[in-house]
Amino acid sequence: MLKQMKYALLTKLRNPSIVFWPFLFPLALATLMYFAIGQMDQADFETVPAAVVVEEEGEAVDSFLPFVDAMDESSGLIRAEKMTEEAALKALEKGEAEGIFYVGNDVRLTVSGNGFPESILQSVLASYQSGEEAVKDIARLHPEGMQDALEKMKEYDTAVNQVSLGGTTIDGNVQIFYALIGMACLYGCFIGFGCALWLQANLTALAARRCVAPVHRLKLILTEFGAGFLVHFANMIVLLAYMRYVLKLEFTGSFAEMTGLVLVGSMFGVSMGIFVGSLGKVGEGIRIGILLGISMSLSFLAGLMDASVKDAVEQHAPVLSRVNPAALISDALYCINVYDAPERFADNMVILIIMSALMVGGAFLIVRRERYGSI
Amino acid sequence: MIEIKNLVKRYGSLVALDHLNLHIKEGEIFGLLGPNGSGKTTAINCMLALLKFDRGSIRIMGEEMSPDNYRIKKEIGVVMQDVAVFNELTVHDNIDYFCSLYIKDRKRCRELVEDAIRFAGLEEYRKVYPKKLSGGLLRRLNIACGIAHRPRLIFLDEPTVAVDPQSRNQILEGICELNRQGSTIIYTSHYMEEVEQICTRIAIMDHGRCIASGTKEELKKMIRTGETVVIEAVSLEEEQLEQIRSLPGVFTVEYEEQVLTVRCTGTKHNLLRILGWLQEREIPFGQVFSQLPTLNDVFLEITGKQLRD
Repeated sequence: MLKQMKYALLTKLRNPSIVFWPFLFPLALATLMYFAIGQMDQADFETVPAAVVVEEEGEAVDSFLPFVDAMDESSGLIRAEKMTEEAALKALEKGEAEGIFYVGNDVRLTVSGNGFPESILQSVLASYQSGEEAVKDIARLHPEGMQDALEKMKEYDTAVNQVSLGGTTIDGNVQIFYALIGMACLYGCFIGFGCALWLQANLTALAARRCVAPVHRLKLILTEFGAGFLVHFANMIVLLAYMRYVLKLEFTGSFAEMTGLVLVGSMFGVSMGIFVGSLGKVGEGIRIGILLGISMSLSFLAGLMDASVKDAVEQHAPVLSRVNPAALISDALYCINVYDAPERFADNMVILIIMSALMVGGAFLIVRRERYGSI
Repeated sequence: MIEIKNLVKRYGSLVALDHLNLHIKEGEIFGLLGPNGSGKTTAINCMLALLKFDRGSIRIMGEEMSPDNYRIKKEIGVVMQDVAVFNELTVHDNIDYFCSLYIKDRKRCRELVEDAIRFAGLEEYRKVYPKKLSGGLLRRLNIACGIAHRPRLIFLDEPTVAVDPQSRNQILEGICELNRQGSTIIYTSHYMEEVEQICTRIAIMDHGRCIASGTKEELKKMIRTGETVVIEAVSLEEEQLEQIRSLPGVFTVEYEEQVLTVRCTGTKHNLLRILGWLQEREIPFGQVFSQLPTLNDVFLEITGKQLRD
């Protein structure tokens, strides 16, 4: 059996189609997502020019002008220039200014379009107006503290300090990478499918040749499953290490626990492939379609394309999340890295192991003594 | 060695095997001869317990064949019609893999693998991957994988398809050698020359039925044709053809593109009689051949069509 395992491993390692989807594709996707999300976070927006027209000396003049100056200095989002109304309108017409703030007793905004710069100006105004109420309240209740309040407004600090419940990561984007790990585990199904093609005499001559050998079907299945699992587990370890040590994603939980998780996840992916590959009387193309459909749908529901999908499923159809292997893997990663919830982690692992055993058992029952109607 | 009784296999309305009966003795090279679609491969797949069948029984070495009869499977070697090797393993590793499915002892397995490599003439290619092998070498690898464990019973399903003449001769010689070493061989082919060359007994199949079986001499005695005379570059009228048909010993005359084919019974002097008739009428002719009956003649007389139709 060791020799057969050795050759089963070699056949998988030397098969380019088996190497690409379960190994190279998740690595490439992780890299692309890393740069896409990273660029989104670090996007360098161009400073939006704006004109400020002071209509009359009012209470907003003393607060708004320092506010936009502070905004310019702290974030570089806008660059406001005080000018006459005539000059401001000309600047707006020539595109030298994206909008005009009219400042009197209150502040009004005039823009010439509805694009991204205009949205920024609008959000600046909204931000000021929410602060303005506070300034007015201070003026009414504690006029002696007005100067300090304005100074605070200029500082434009955030008062919310985000913390994780488990004291680890708080990066929301990481959830997408958890789902990606779930997807990569499920992609082991392509290795499992390849194994099944070499087990079903009605699919390939090679499988027919193996089926006439005096080897118990369960032994053949377990050899293929074992080799497929080892290959995919190695794939997953590389992916995990790449994400943690090269991309430096916030995988701050125990690496040993994550290794245990991808071990079980790989087992599930390969067993799913063997099971679907063993389904009788279904064409090879249809089976591949089924595998792709299943793995992508489950990954989508686990939050691969949009992290909020996983939360929505968890809220509205929690049972689906409990039987979705991609969601279980993603959730288990949350347990390790965010929640610090060992019991839930263990539950997810047990469910994955049970599902894997059912898949392999099912595949064995399908192919164990099979004579085929046609070859 | 193999006893097949009333084997029936249907694919929907198509009857692939129609009450097939075969009895194959130990030590034979038994040929299953028939055109494509005659049921040869289906019969083999039923014998190997790969295919379900609708009726009948198959006993191999006195036991009923089933997918989990590993005792019998251990004694069987199979060379599939389609090459069944791993493209990801070298020549040596492929043979080693298949041999290890049958032989547990590592040392013995190593010896058998080396023997199989020598037998197939693949010594120079042991580290080569199948994709780099020519068609003939690939077929030889396929055979080496099937016979490396020295089985008592070997099924060879059209092992020489798409093989060059040199490789074909090597393969046929190898099969005879395996038989000399004690293996019983079941050999399927639609090449009558091959079957005639190596098989000790032959079953001719058509439409899933065994239409005749026996040694090649026995088969040839079953038919009227004792000799076929072929005369090229001869110009004849329909009336003259009728006269040839009425000559003693002649029972069919074909004339196409100035080639005259005359089938005669086993009587003596058929050729002289026909040539004398042409000379008497001063009809010029080109090359002349006289052939003893072939398996194609057997097939033709029994089914009314050529083996390769």
